[in-house]
Amino acid sequence: MSSDSHMAAADTDTTARGPLSLLLASSLAWLVVAVSLGLVHAIQRHTPSFLETIPAFTYGRTQAMYETALIFGWAANAAYAVALWILARLGGGHWRGLGLMTGGTLFWNAGVTIGIFCIGWGEGTMLRFLQMPAYVHPLLLVSGAAISTPAILAWTGRRTSGTYVAQWYAIGALFLFPWFYSASQVMLLADPVSGVSRAIIGAWHAQNVLSLWLAPIALAAAYYLLPRLTGKPVPHYGFAGLGFWVLIVVGSWTGGRHLVGGPVPAWIPATGIAAAVLLLFHFMLVWMNLSPALRAGTTDPLRFVRAGIVAYLAGGVLDALVSLEGAAARLQFTHFQTGLQQLFVQGAFGLLVLGAIYDLVPRLTGRAWPSPRQIRGHYVLALTGTALSVAGLLIAGWIQGGALLHADASFAAIAASTRPWLYLASAGELTFLLGAMVASVHLARLLLGLCRLSAAGQSTATTVTAS
Amino acid sequence: MKSGPLFFIALLGVLTVSWASFALGPDMQLRTLAPYYDATFDSTFPQSPSGLAARGRAVYLELGCASCHTQQVRRSGFGSDHERGWGERQSWARDYIFQDPVQLGSLRHGPDVATVGDRIESEAELHEMLYSGSEGMPAYAYLYEPAPPAAQANPLAVDQVAGREIIPSRRAEALVAYLLNLKAPAAYAPEVANNAVEEGEAH
Repeated sequence: MSSDSHMAAADTDTTARGPLSLLLASSLAWLVVAVSLGLVHAIQRHTPSFLETIPAFTYGRTQAMYETALIFGWAANAAYAVALWILARLGGGHWRGLGLMTGGTLFWNAGVTIGIFCIGWGEGTMLRFLQMPAYVHPLLLVSGAAISTPAILAWTGRRTSGTYVAQWYAIGALFLFPWFYSASQVMLLADPVSGVSRAIIGAWHAQNVLSLWLAPIALAAAYYLLPRLTGKPVPHYGFAGLGFWVLIVVGSWTGGRHLVGGPVPAWIPATGIAAAVLLLFHFMLVWMNLSPALRAGTTDPLRFVRAGIVAYLAGGVLDALVSLEGAAARLQFTHFQTGLQQLFVQGAFGLLVLGAIYDLVPRLTGRAWPSPRQIRGHYVLALTGTALSVAGLLIAGWIQGGALLHADASFAAIAASTRPWLYLASAGELTFLLGAMVASVHLARLLLGLCRLSAAGQSTATTVTAS
Repeated sequence: MKSGPLFFIALLGVLTVSWASFALGPDMQLRTLAPYYDATFDSTFPQSPSGLAARGRAVYLELGCASCHTQQVRRSGFGSDHERGWGERQSWARDYIFQDPVQLGSLRHGPDVATVGDRIESEAELHEMLYSGSEGMPAYAYLYEPAPPAAQANPLAVDQVAGREIIPSRRAEALVAYLLNLKAPAAYAPEVANNAVEEGEAH
């Protein structure tokens, strides 16, 4: 795939510079906020008395605020930016609808900010990936549609005869998100179902956020970047479309696996487990196509992409194994599940999208990153932080699960035995936070430099006109 | 793929099938569940909680207690729920028809609370636990407040500060009422029969 072969005029990127920079700056600012909340939450896992006198930072609320800032703050802004960029570049047309996109970004971020304050105030829903109060979500739905406008116009106005699989993943995620998000809002918040249906639909929604929204964007970035950064085509491109459809069809069915042994109809977890195993086929196809990146050169974005692909594949295989009933008896309700989510959101999605950001920003702004050393520093911190926090949570979860199987093991003893590994997870979160700060400051330096340059240019132009 | 509309129709179809199967379908299957009339006790089960307990469920929700405690007992042989004394039988969907919203939870940082009302000796014990916390649980001291100056001695006082008793706020009272209301549910004949058939098939 020659991804830039259909690139439009040079001004394509400059017209989108402001709106896309707003999305990117928002995403990295949210990343710092989210991981700061994540660090507080991680500390509370091993030291429950941390900030216990502040109601807004009660353990349950901290977790909900962290998750919301991570998914709706960092991940959403970054996902929109990367998806829009890919669709515009590969579509070959001009940017349109940028005003709507900018307005949507401002309202989206205002909505998430309000939502997080409301959770701290005690108005959270305790629904995974739907933690903000009911009245915030319609605002996000409309704002998300506004942000997606240039993507739809880029798709309908594309100048290419065919489409690439990176476009499928990107447009698919942007198309499916509002559908399942609105269905979840109606059934869980606006006119909520009663009884355990809430847990079942909650699991369906949470899985859709991962499988139909974040995973496709991460894979769009991977399929877009791989040929660009390695200079080699995707080896089995014919199978890439199949991998897309397997994820879209089967991914959404896997949510029920978390309800194994629960008070729900037995067919729901059974289908979820079968679907999780079936999804291994998707991971195999992704492996066939993206594994060359693991052996290719070492540009800065490629380092992130490589680590992201490893995290995506490792997380997928682990998820399938852990969903089997024998493993679930031990690892359900443990930190192991949190570690798997961390591996996907922070590891796979996070690293792949960061790789895309490091690749697209110089082309968007027309300026190189001020400091390659800071990119490498961020890479080391992000990779080390993710590895430590995921390893800490997985090991703590494994120990916790083993102890929970023994009825005579007290919860105090379980907490004591997992504490060293939870310290490790906190150290990982702190390391990742330092990396996020480095990246945010780095982007701020670049954008401020651009603003100064632009102001100086305008000033010169004014002087020339006046004279 | 060159055909844009077909691509979007396929995407919409896939999501609609998923929604119908895992959102609409289960809801239609479960919404017909009603309280079970037990002739032995001449009563229906499960029973609707009191107003105070229902308010306590809202406190349980807004504090995010479900992020550390599950409310679902798994069957004997799957985990150690049975051996830990959390319930004689696994939780069934009918147990939750009066719980709005249901909070099954997904992490056991602390014990399951589906039947905590059967395991707690007294109201005072729960208040003490909430006020002081424990090794694995934070203290919720902000749910407690100084008693009015002229108030009589309160048997639920958890502390004494500057000569004034620290007593449960209305939120703490509601939360404790809710937790004490969580007890092992009755056995419903339809579920007992279904499970007997499934266990027979398994053997």
